[in-house]
Amino acid sequence: MTASDTDKQLVQRAQRGDLRAFDLLVLKYQGRIAALVSRYVSDPGEAEDVTQEAFIKAFRALEQFRGDSAFYTWLYRIAANAAKNYLVAKGRRPRADATIEDAEGFDDGWLLAESSSPEAVAMGDELAGVVEVALQALPDELRSALTLRELDGLSYDDIADVLECPVGTVRSRIFRAREAIDARVREQMNGESGFR
Amino acid sequence: MTAEDRDREALSALMDGETQELELRRVLDSISSDPSLRDRWRRQQQVRELLQGQRRHLPDVDVSTRVREVLDAKRSVSRNPIWSMAVAASVTLAVVMGGQQLLMPSSGVTPAPVVSELGGAVVPVFGAQPVQASLGAQSLPVSSRQASGAQSAGQSIAAVYERLARDRYHRLNGRHAASAAQSHPAPYISYVRVPELKLEAPDSE
Repeated sequence: MTASDTDKQLVQRAQRGDLRAFDLLVLKYQGRIAALVSRYVSDPGEAEDVTQEAFIKAFRALEQFRGDSAFYTWLYRIAANAAKNYLVAKGRRPRADATIEDAEGFDDGWLLAESSSPEAVAMGDELAGVVEVALQALPDELRSALTLRELDGLSYDDIADVLECPVGTVRSRIFRAREAIDARVREQMNGESGFR
Repeated sequence: MTAEDRDREALSALMDGETQELELRRVLDSISSDPSLRDRWRRQQQVRELLQGQRRHLPDVDVSTRVREVLDAKRSVSRNPIWSMAVAASVTLAVVMGGQQLLMPSSGVTPAPVVSELGGAVVPVFGAQPVQASLGAQSLPVSSRQASGAQSAGQSIAAVYERLARDRYHRLNGRHAASAAQSHPAPYISYVRVPELKLEAPDSE
């Protein structure tokens, strides 16, 4: 199983009208969708409104999503169209033109460099440092399990094979690793009033 | 392990697509009652993006609350009983109006009931006209002769219905008997048509 299985599970529940499941999808993708919208709409306030509208449109169109593509790719198209339509309605031209290849290549993390404020970049760098320190401070067995999951993308079954331990142990180690990192991140966030 | 720990571990497994349907349902229920789980989900998604090198330059926006409020509000409106009644009333009204339009004669003249020249009446549907079936079928033996009166029309209609029902019963009964005779291993006669039955006294011979 992979993170895209998470999307499938949540999408199926959302298609049955479960708003809580859709809420988790919004929380998961809002940063990336906001990044995409910012490529078209430069004003941060307007970009936030368009991002919100894109998710509302996505929920309304969710019945039409058949799972032929990844949920994020589908969501990306909706958000790109929402941003273009917004600009057309305002009589403006987009700053750039994003493509579906961008959606699939988004994991490279370069897309938003041009539209983030210096403060956001600084906070992102700082938080990334905190996460890195927290990861290195983990006991070996927790760090190995989390790294195999997050960086190598292995399933719990595969990690269990690599680490020669039961799947339940893998699940528990990944959970404890995330808890430890989350504790450090919360400390950082509580210290940084500007970071949500 | 406490219930809260179990929920947090399930949330972690959900991030990796490693939860079963029942566990997912439990997590969603817990998130509804414990907002800290929702915050944890958001933070851990951010940590994942940082670990995978995606997040460093993402804008820090949170539209989730506004999206949820808008969708909740829309759902509340659509679930409102007054709204539902209004929709149902509109549909009913549209159906009634549409039906009346279809039944209204185009000339504006109220047509009289039509009766068959063969003695049987046909059902006097308001606004109905005799029609010619396609592909060479014969038209109904019907004319536009006016019925003599509403009362006689009603009686003849009742008689027609009764006769049609009787004919249909005999036809089905005969078909059933024929079918049973063909399929039954020991043929038998279940239906005999007797034109007339004469009973004679035993001492007449």
